[in-house]
Amino acid sequence: MSQAYASVGWNRQKKLYDLVMLASVSVYLALFVGIGAIVHPNATVETLLIRGFGTGALLMLHVILSIGPLCRLAPRLLPLLYNRRHFGVAMFLMALAHGAFSLVQFHALGDLNPLVSVLVSNTRYDSLSNFPFQPLGLIALLILFLMAATSHDFWLANLTAPVWKRLHMLVYVAYGLIVAHVVLGVLQAETNRLLVMILGTGMVVVLGLHLIAGWRERKLDGTADLPISANGFVDVCGVEDIEANCAKVVTLTGERVAVFKYDGKVSALSNVCQHQNGPLGEGRIIDGCVTCPWHGYQYLPDSGASPPPFAEKVPTFNVKVVNGRVLIDPKPNAPGTRIEPAKI
Amino acid sequence: MVVAQWMVNLAMAYAALGVAFAIAFVFYGVGKIDPAAKDAPLTFRLLIFPGVAALWPLLLKRWLNGQTLPPAEQNAHRNSDKSVKEAKS
Ligand code: HEM
Ligand code: FES
Repeated sequence: MSQAYASVGWNRQKKLYDLVMLASVSVYLALFVGIGAIVHPNATVETLLIRGFGTGALLMLHVILSIGPLCRLAPRLLPLLYNRRHFGVAMFLMALAHGAFSLVQFHALGDLNPLVSVLVSNTRYDSLSNFPFQPLGLIALLILFLMAATSHDFWLANLTAPVWKRLHMLVYVAYGLIVAHVVLGVLQAETNRLLVMILGTGMVVVLGLHLIAGWRERKLDGTADLPISANGFVDVCGVEDIEANCAKVVTLTGERVAVFKYDGKVSALSNVCQHQNGPLGEGRIIDGCVTCPWHGYQYLPDSGASPPPFAEKVPTFNVKVVNGRVLIDPKPNAPGTRIEPAKI
Repeated sequence: MVVAQWMVNLAMAYAALGVAFAIAFVFYGVGKIDPAAKDAPLTFRLLIFPGVAALWPLLLKRWLNGQTLPPAEQNAHRNSDKSVKEAKS
């Protein structure tokens, strides 16, 4: 991006999103501590806060993990995805509060450094019912920190989106560690079988949504291996198979290509948005630009370049329309190369 | 016990070096390796601070190498575009 970085690109939608999120978190914590104090009159506020922050973070993590597959299944929900990184940072802050309070409450009283104490105060790694569950939470918290700390667009640009995505896939490792942390912790505390049941339900939802969405994606990539004709072009579809101002997505040269139809023309670009690798072919042409469905980055359909002052560019493909069929040269052009659109 | 103490000490030393590096990097180095960060506001510099302190070896390397632009993304289409092929042959 040659456009200078802002700290946060605030707009009305993001402010509303954050406001709703903050209000929900506050209400949750207040209810948790309030009801907890009535049900467990002997529990201290610290204990209730530790549990409130922990369960709150866990709940938020489930929502965050569900947003991705939900948006693939129901594009109406895309506004949820738009500001997901603020959701992620808020979840990390909740988990951090939980972890920090726990360290102070359970590990800061002796002479040991609290972090050392977490690792050594219980070493029964051979026991299931007494397994040291706290180190699992610590490792998960470190992963969540790395993700929150690299959430600014600066990191997307400087790590590049594919590397950034691989880093952020660690969320699934963190999720596994946290599930183990909670289940093993509850085994020891005997307090809350209900929590384990709710967690079980949450896991089924998250896993189920991922499987269903993944299944759909597989079908899409099944369009690979279209025959290449003598002149090196691939017949990808009929002109009428593409809705106006929308795209058909096909796989060519190991990656998806978005074939857009607009203003009586056809253009083809790499499907991979330069921002977070969102699916351009699931976006629409808005104000003459291909608009990414995830966060609204825009590209000119003929050149694959973002209009100035932005500098993002994606590869383009040579395209022809012959007898109502759309033909595409599977060899990509350098990102930002203008290709004459095919007239219908 | 000794191992745990060493692990924590190492992590603390890494983080301390990271914080020291980040102070220099967010105010000075970042604009050298990424032009879009040159005139960015103070809040931007504070927001990237924790990540810089965590991933400092990567950024230190780029700064020392005199890199002036973020790296180009690698994917199937970008790696096999026609200009790449021509440049190679
Ligand atoms: C430094 C890292 C961490 C430490 C030292 C830690 C410590 C603890 C402790 C001592 C408990 C038992 C609390 C009690 O029964 O009163 C607990 C429970 C729990 N932790 Fe963590 N934790 C850490 C990280 C995390 C993270 C990253 C999450 C992520 C969401 C998390 C979620 C939970 C949940 C949901 C519970 C169950 C709360 C309950 O019993 O009601 N923890 N943790
Ligand atoms: S992935 Fe963010 S705008 Fe495309």
